[in-house]
Parts: sequence; C-alpha cells; structure tokens
Amino acid sequence: MKNRAILTALAGLLLSTAAFAQSGEAIKIGVPVGLSGANSVVAPSVVQSSQLAVDEINAAGGVLGRPLALEIADDASGAAGAQRAFDSLVYQKSVNVIISMETSAARNAGLPIIAKGNVPYIYTSFYEGRSCNKNLFVDAWVPEQQVPPIVDNFMKAAKAKKFYLIGSDYSFGRGMLQFSRAYIEKSGGTVVGEDYLPMDGSDWTAIVSKLKASGAEAIITSTAGGAPNVTLTKQLKAAGVNLPYGNLAVDEGTAKGMGKDAAGIYISASYVTSIDSPANQKFLKAMADKFGKDLKTPNDLSVPQYEAIYLYKAAVEKAKSTDTAAVVAALPGVSFEGPRGVISMSKQHHAPLTMYLGQVGDDGGVKVVDTFKDVDPGAQCPNL
Amino acid sequence: MTLLLDIATTAAVLFIVASGLLAIFGVLKIINFAHGAWLTVGAYCSVLIAHWGLNPWLSLPFAFLVGAALGALTERLIVKPLYRRPLDAILATWGLGIVIGQLITLWFGRDVQMTPNLMSGTVGFLGVDYSAYRLFAVVAALAVGIGFTFLLDGTRLGLSARAVIMNESLARALGIDTGNVRLLTFVIGTGLAGLAGALLTPLTSVDPNMGVAWLIGAFMLVMVAGSSFGALAVACLLFGGAQVLVSTFLNPVLGGVTIAVLCALVLRLNPKGFARG
Repeated sequence: MKNRAILTALAGLLLSTAAFAQSGEAIKIGVPVGLSGANSVVAPSVVQSSQLAVDEINAAGGVLGRPLALEIADDASGAAGAQRAFDSLVYQKSVNVIISMETSAARNAGLPIIAKGNVPYIYTSFYEGRSCNKNLFVDAWVPEQQVPPIVDNFMKAAKAKKFYLIGSDYSFGRGMLQFSRAYIEKSGGTVVGEDYLPMDGSDWTAIVSKLKASGAEAIITSTAGGAPNVTLTKQLKAAGVNLPYGNLAVDEGTAKGMGKDAAGIYISASYVTSIDSPANQKFLKAMADKFGKDLKTPNDLSVPQYEAIYLYKAAVEKAKSTDTAAVVAALPGVSFEGPRGVISMSKQHHAPLTMYLGQVGDDGGVKVVDTFKDVDPGAQCPNL
Repeated sequence: MTLLLDIATTAAVLFIVASGLLAIFGVLKIINFAHGAWLTVGAYCSVLIAHWGLNPWLSLPFAFLVGAALGALTERLIVKPLYRRPLDAILATWGLGIVIGQLITLWFGRDVQMTPNLMSGTVGFLGVDYSAYRLFAVVAALAVGIGFTFLLDGTRLGLSARAVIMNESLARALGIDTGNVRLLTFVIGTGLAGLAGALLTPLTSVDPNMGVAWLIGAFMLVMVAGSSFGALAVACLLFGGAQVLVSTFLNPVLGGVTIAVLCALVLRLNPKGFARG
C-alpha cells in the first residue's frame, strides 16, 4: 500500500542520513500525521515537504552541527490514534520536538502528552482557533484570518448582505461558521440560514431547497474535506444555485479534481501554488526535483509544515540548545522566509499571514483575485 | 412545490438504491451486506467509462453488467453453500463487502473520484426550477419498479421465483430448477445494485466507502418492505418523505436518522412491516 511504501522510503532515508551524519547525535523531529483515515489524502504531501526541509537543512550542515532526523507516526486522523502516536514519539523515541499537521481531535489528544513530557509542539494545520498551551505554536491560519477575505469580497464586489451558512456537524465546521456568522453580523450583513449535516451525510436535498427559498445572496460552506464537500458542491450545482460561493474547506487539488462542478468557487488560503515569489519558485522546483512523478502537489497544509521545520531550526540556533524551555522562549522571536512569505509566530503563539482570495476557473485552476497582507490572527491566547 | 419534488426525488433515489437489496432478500431470504460494495463497484464503473472517454450514459448498462457478472461469481463461490445458514451469509457478505472495498482502494486509491454529470442544470417543472437529474431519478426509479414488476408477474422466471418464495421444496418437486432461479435472482440483484451505484454518481462523491452510507438506510427499508416492490415504494415515499420534512422543518442532523428510527418503530409495532404475506 502507498503508506507502507512511503514509510519504507522514509526508513531508507533515515538510514542514509545517519550514514553521513554530522558530528553529534541527531535532533529528532516527531511527525504524527494521519497516514490512514480522513487525512490520508493530504498526509503524503506533508511527509514529502518534511523530508525536503530535513534534507535541505542536513545538506547545509544541520542544526548546531547536528543532523535532523524525522520520526513519522500514523495518528489515524483521530484522538485514539494520536494518543498512541504521541506516546510512542515522546516516551519511546524521545523526540526533541513535534511538528505536525493533524485533525483538531488528534491535536487535542496530543496536547496533554506534550505538556507532561515537556516537548515543544508546532501545529501546522489551519484550525478553528483558541488552542493554547505554553508548548504549542501554530504557523497556519485561524478563522480570524481566513473568513474576512471572503466576506469582505462578497459584500464589496457582489454587494451581498444576506448569507447562508452550510457545514458538516463537527468542531471545525461549526467553529468556522460560528466565527463567520459573528463577522458577517459585525460587518452589517445578516445570516438568513445556518444548517449542518452529519459528517458522513451525503443528501443535502432539504438544505439546498431551504437555501433557494431563503433569498440568500451568498453562500459560505465549511464541510469536512473530501466526500461531503464534493456531494454538497455537486448538489448545489445540480440545483442551479449560482450565488457567490465561498468554500472554507476546499483546496487547490480537490478543486482541480472536481473540474466544472467547482468552477466559480471562492477559496481563501495562505498558500496557493501560483504565488509569484523567488522563495516559492525555489521550493516548488526543489520538490519537483526531489520527488519527480511521485510528487504530491504542495498545498496549504504541506507548506506550513515545511516552514515550521525551518522555524524550529531558527529557534534552536537562537537558543543554542534543544532544551524545551529555551526553544519555547526563542520560538516567538524567530522568523523564516518561506513559500508563503516571512513567517513568524509572534502573536500569542500564532502567526500573522498573508491571505489569498482565489477563484476556481473552468479548468479547475485557482486564480488569485485579491491579496490581504499580513492578516492578524487576533487574540488567540491572551493568557499565555 | 419544491418540498413535494424533494420528497418524490428522495424517495426515488432510495428506491433505486434499495431495489437490488430487496430482489435478493425477497426471493432468497439472504441479507446481502455486500450491497454497499456493489453500489461502489457500479459507481467506479462510471469512473472507468469516463476514464476511457466514452459517453457517460454507457456507464449505466456497463455498471449493470459488471455488477451482474461479479454477482454470478459471488453466488456460485460464496453464497450458494450458505442458503440454509442465513446468519453465516450475513457474515460472509459483510466480509465480502470489506474485501471489495479494500480492492477498490488498492486499485483506485482512497481519494474521491470525479465523474462527468449525466445531466446538468435545472428545468422548469410546475413553476419551480428543479434539478434535471433528480427528476430523471424519478423516471429511473419508475423504470426499475415497473421492469421488476413485469419480470415477476409477466415472465416464466418471475413465476418460478414466486414459486420458490412460497414453497421451495414443492417448487423443486414440480421440476423447477431452484438453483438456477436463485442464481438469476442474485445476479439481477447485484446488477441492480451496480446500476444504482452508477445512477448515484451525479448526486454524490465516488470514494471507496460511499456504499456504506447508503447500506443502512436501504437495509432498514427492505426490512420494512419484506418481499414486495410495491411495499418498498410505499416505504420509500413515507420514510424518504419524513426525512425531507424533518430535515426541512426541524434539523438536517435529525433528518439523517429519521429513516432508521421510523423503520425500527414500525418493526416494533408490526414485526411484519408493510408486507401482507
């Protein structure tokens, strides 16, 4: 199976890096990630970008003269799997840091373990916000950064005042739409409907009919990725719904796959492959050279993972040690210029990010229609 | 009006999905838990047809044939020895469903697959704009229902099948090849499941687990309907209607469990369900 192949390749990689290791013991980076379960579609791209970061850093002499080594563990995209993965990484493999893209359930299950084992943890997935722990840092977006570009654009360009919100019934779906509602109302709009379907639900008939009858002028959806997103988009299209449609859960790859069904959808992301900067061009070329035809398209989850490994490197170099307290003290003060621009987790352990509002074209490609510089994550963890 | 159309089309989709299961349960008294897997196989037939660049409508006969062919193999190799052990048959078909799901995952990967739409856009129908494909689903459901009724009531096979349902030993004593009747029924059932899978693709996503979501609802409806296609149609209209009403006026999350809850209630009050026999 594909996952096994990745793991085997990875094991080979670890052995080879160990063979020409720099002086000193390797610094171990634990990467618990959903190789199976809901995240299995995106996890391989995250593993690939981690490998590239580690290879580049080791080729340039490592960190404090020590090489980096990856320890990948499958968290099965959920809480139970994450407990096992974090346990084995923290207590058996004794990793120096955990850097990973995971589901919110997996992150919440891992937090007590990194607190007890006292390991720094950089979380690289966008999420619903307000997860706070002295060892936890986040370099991906929160609702405060993702939602405003879409709502602002719909209100300005499409003159939309009435919004309809549709989501999957889970913490990310509800969290995103709860924030969207508050932001829409604060900006002078109204929410004319808000409906959810269970995560495995696929029949949106009743919701689509309510939407059509509601007089809404724009739609914002936040479903679970994959199947629910595709079924909702297809059924909206089939019902002839032609309103401005902001999708908080679709990424470039999925949009491409959906083809014509996705045309016209607005997405808001901190990374799109078409970002025109030397750092992004260099990154895309290095990924293509390293993985060739096995390359998984870099995306808004794999790029923050790549940058987080560099941020960790910068923090260790600033602290001159891998000691947890020193690294945690150094992390807010370091920055790294990656494919998404200059990233620094300086705001209550979260990062101001440049957000891109993109629209899916008829060919499935994403065209950037607006750019929002350095959007602030807001007060995520005022008590830290 | 939209509400009535929602109810009619939801019932039609449920009917299409459940018909293959009913064909097998009604005649063979075997609960085919691999039904979800056959649905998935049918949907992936559409993916293949699209991949080969053929007309998407060809996926309907293709899915029926593939479902039927694989069904024939399954009947001979797995189900045949288990007719007298219906509980073991549940286990065997459940296991088979898992195996098929894994094979599909190995072959096509876990990702959601995309298929071209058979029909897109809306048509004006009695004063409302309504999804063209959902209206087509009603036609397809009627075609399946009428076709099957004709098969049961108007052909030799139907006569034999009804004889097997009523009294199998007597049927055999009268010279009916019950083994063949069973094989044909099973093949028609899995063929219908494949067809249903292909018909679902414009409404849902195609992924290795897509069948599971439909299996429980279809299973409940068939339990209530017994062995009659008429009863199945009534059950689909009533429970599908209830699902739409609950989703519209109460809460879509509750709507998702309406069918299961109502079916359980009906079976509690009247263990025979809607079947008269």
